[in-house]
Amino acid sequence: MQTALSIALDALAYGMALFIICIGLSLTMGLMRLVNLAHGAFAMIGGYIASYAARDLGLGYAVGIVLAVAGTILIAIPLERLLFRRIYDRSELSQVLMTIGITFCVIGITNYFFGPTLKTIPLPAELAQPVDLGFRSIAGHRLFVIASGLVVAGGLWFLIERTGFGINLRAAVENAPMARALGVRTEWIYAASFALAIGLAAFGGAVGAEFLPIEPYYALRYMVTFLVVVSVGGAGSIPGALAACILLGAIDVTARYLVPDFGNFFFYLAVILIVCLFPRGLLGRAQ
Amino acid sequence: MIDRRSFSRLLSLGALALASGLGLGGAAAADTVKVGIIGPFSGPFALQGKNFQAGVEAWLAQNGKSVDGHDIEIVYRDLPTANPQQSRALAQELIVRDKVQYLGGVYFTPDAMAITPLLKQGNVPLVIFNAATSAIMTSSPLVVRTSFTTAQTTTPLGKAAVDRGVKKFVSVVSDYGPGVDAEAAFKKAITAAGGEVVESIRMPLNTTEFSPIMQRVRDAGAQGVFAFLPSGPPTLGFVKSFNDTGLKQSGVKLFATGDLTQESDLPALGEAASGMITSFHYAVSHDSDVNRKFVAAAEKALGDPAQLSFPAVGAYDGMHVIARMIAATGGKQDAEKAVEAVKGLAWESPRGPVKIDPETRHITETIYLREVAKDAKGHWINKEIQRFPEQKDPGLAK
Amino acid sequence: MTRQAPDSAAAARPMRSLGRDSVGVALVAIAGLAGYWLFPDNLSFLTRMISVALLVLSLDLVVGYCGIASLGQAALYGAGAYAAGIACLAGVTEPFLLILIGAAAGGVTGLLMGTIMLRAHGLPQLVLSIAIVQLLHEAANKAYSVTGGSDGLSGMAPAPLFGIFEFDLWGRTAYLFGLALLVIVFVALKLLVRSPFGMVCRGLKQDPLRVSALGISAFPVLLRMFLISGAVAGTGGALGAIATQVVGLDSVSFELSANALVMLVLGGLGNLYGALIGTVVFMAVEHIVAAFNPFHWLTLVGGLLVAIVLFAPRGLSGSIDEAARILMRGKRRTAP
Repeated sequence: MQTALSIALDALAYGMALFIICIGLSLTMGLMRLVNLAHGAFAMIGGYIASYAARDLGLGYAVGIVLAVAGTILIAIPLERLLFRRIYDRSELSQVLMTIGITFCVIGITNYFFGPTLKTIPLPAELAQPVDLGFRSIAGHRLFVIASGLVVAGGLWFLIERTGFGINLRAAVENAPMARALGVRTEWIYAASFALAIGLAAFGGAVGAEFLPIEPYYALRYMVTFLVVVSVGGAGSIPGALAACILLGAIDVTARYLVPDFGNFFFYLAVILIVCLFPRGLLGRAQ
Repeated sequence: MIDRRSFSRLLSLGALALASGLGLGGAAAADTVKVGIIGPFSGPFALQGKNFQAGVEAWLAQNGKSVDGHDIEIVYRDLPTANPQQSRALAQELIVRDKVQYLGGVYFTPDAMAITPLLKQGNVPLVIFNAATSAIMTSSPLVVRTSFTTAQTTTPLGKAAVDRGVKKFVSVVSDYGPGVDAEAAFKKAITAAGGEVVESIRMPLNTTEFSPIMQRVRDAGAQGVFAFLPSGPPTLGFVKSFNDTGLKQSGVKLFATGDLTQESDLPALGEAASGMITSFHYAVSHDSDVNRKFVAAAEKALGDPAQLSFPAVGAYDGMHVIARMIAATGGKQDAEKAVEAVKGLAWESPRGPVKIDPETRHITETIYLREVAKDAKGHWINKEIQRFPEQKDPGLAK
Repeated sequence: MTRQAPDSAAAARPMRSLGRDSVGVALVAIAGLAGYWLFPDNLSFLTRMISVALLVLSLDLVVGYCGIASLGQAALYGAGAYAAGIACLAGVTEPFLLILIGAAAGGVTGLLMGTIMLRAHGLPQLVLSIAIVQLLHEAANKAYSVTGGSDGLSGMAPAPLFGIFEFDLWGRTAYLFGLALLVIVFVALKLLVRSPFGMVCRGLKQDPLRVSALGISAFPVLLRMFLISGAVAGTGGALGAIATQVVGLDSVSFELSANALVMLVLGGLGNLYGALIGTVVFMAVEHIVAAFNPFHWLTLVGGLLVAIVLFAPRGLSGSIDEAARILMRGKRRTAP
């Protein structure tokens, strides 16, 4: 029982880290219909900025994360204007080609400027210490990641379902010309949601760095994981992505505990099974 | 309009590149010996490739760019990940088109295996700077290796662990060739020393979340963990997970090969790995004049001292071997004579005294037991605490 | 035959495109032979290019003609490579037989893959393809005794072609053998995509509803395409195994699959030429840029991909097509 609980906690922390990174991708793919394979690259940029600010400049963890989000969005804005904007209404394969190209460039440039070594983001003392939960000790930052994940999920749900921005966004997604005719500034809406997605990626890259370490190849190394999570959850669905992250995190962690040799087998078998049973994703929107 | 213009511009650019890249290989001038180096210069293992280059350039900087009047020209070729087909194509091109007399480098075993069948026909020796599986040496008599094998670096750990009173082990390795080799070598060594492995865990190479593995270790109730993971980002997660799950506090000892604590990862691992005991053939902090000179030259070549790691020393010594080969053959292309000339060659390497074993053509070297600690300047290093001299590769021992 | 078409232009169209295709096939063969004469020292690389071109062609069948996006095509390629490699080590060394074994293994894997992938659409389908290739990758890593695991399968010695021509260091035999295979497969595929079966596949891509209204069930048609696609990819894999005499885990990897898709989209979908052009351009650029600067070539390749999407939206073959049309129009205008 204790063991089960302990594993469940690990699974939850890992799942939440994935969720924070992936939810932005789920939004771009589901709501903006943009297959952005460069999403991981933005998460990585966030991680690099956080590491630079917190470790090299000594500004501390919290400032590092804020700078990571702001800095990554700042980098993403010209990219959105110059590149992404031109492929919103192109075929998925064109989007794949361009975003892979962008990912290659980001990897190459990062490698050039920061070198191929690992970058860490030093944790503040409160988060670095193991916390004793009675039945086991858990690293403080894992609890922080779980909490962050819940806040992100709640905040996004509120933003999209309950605010004017959310209504406009949903309108722009359902029928862009009609929304425009009704005075919704769809270009602005798209740019804002793109920035939101990128900001979340950067946030995820920074707080998830303890799980997925920051290095130049990050953007390609975890691309498959991110894609799988988004599609199992159903692109564009926040509860779906949350469910997928927790479920896949649980399968991954449990399989690695029970049969570490065949951990990958069970993970991908489970993915095949889930996709075959729920071809639209766990809680995906009907297309 | 834009389409056409940019397209034709692209075409002409491509044609230019074709002409310069594919077209003119040209025969080497009579007194220039070409050496082809294949390594992961980009991609996820770019750091190791950069270290190859640093080792080669450090050697050239110290010894000059010629041997007995024969100029050395290095041709680098990028092989980002294990890809035997690409490896073969690159080696073939280096031999046939660039007319290299020597091949060096090679980070991964399958890539080396793809090259060895070409050596005899091409009359070219291959000096391996890294690829660490025993079997490569038996696949061609024209292969010499200046790195290490996993079994070679693992074996001394058995005795060292038992000497420290840790006998009951769980072994945790990445599930691929070298990992399986390490698991077997450690089991053999610890059993011979009077300890035991109570559980062997193999985890997929792409594992990033290690807490379930640590949970298993805890369940097994072992006193020590033996770990093997290839150098790279996951080692950080592994060591942190070992600490975070409380295993370190509960007194479980972590032993590993030096792959886990390569110097370029130490600034990131830092405190987390403090006190961890590893065994390896080279530490950047090795205390000798030869090493200090080597480190200075290699750091200069890298630009960033924090990136220096063990593949550089394999490359540096590989260049030493190639230079002896060039001297022995008088700059003529004669692979058999070249290999024959370095059998039994012994010299003082930055890692300590080494020798090319005449039978296996693999390097015989000292394996060090090291502890992760801070040096006088506060940098994290692998501090050598015990020596096991003249270790051969147990995988090739008959 | 198609005589009932009253419009003479319409009747002439299939004839003209048949003519165009024979010219196209001839061009492919000539370009291949030209490669042999121009770059006699790069044959090993060019052979790898042919092997990958077969993979990209097989992907075009699925993506370009059926509209099924796949990031797992290397599963089929790897199946062929491993089957041929294992057979060769087991003593079957006749190259033609090895190719057949590879094609059969690829075909069977294709059937399996199709059965699973056709259960979903769009993004989930893409993810299924990824999961399948990862699963096979893991299986190949695990089955150490059969596949050599991460060390790869090595030590095969295919018999000389026709008992005379050896697969040696210079790679002439391997290249010409590969080129012949490529041309044969290309002709066969051109005939295939022109056949009624090929038309149905295109129809399913463009308007599945209307095709099913004609009483055609999509599943068996698409499954058959997966079988064929698998056989083509398996041929490529077997060729790679014979030419290099090694098979590594990279041949069943997500990376190879993703690269294949990039090459296909780069060249242009759904006309087979695009697959060849994309492979040649991508691999040549990668090869040259990587040789030019082994450390930072990735940035340049990335930049190329972005430029292609911006300036050649229909892929390279689309741009060439367009350029040709503009040239032709210009000519017709000047000539009376």
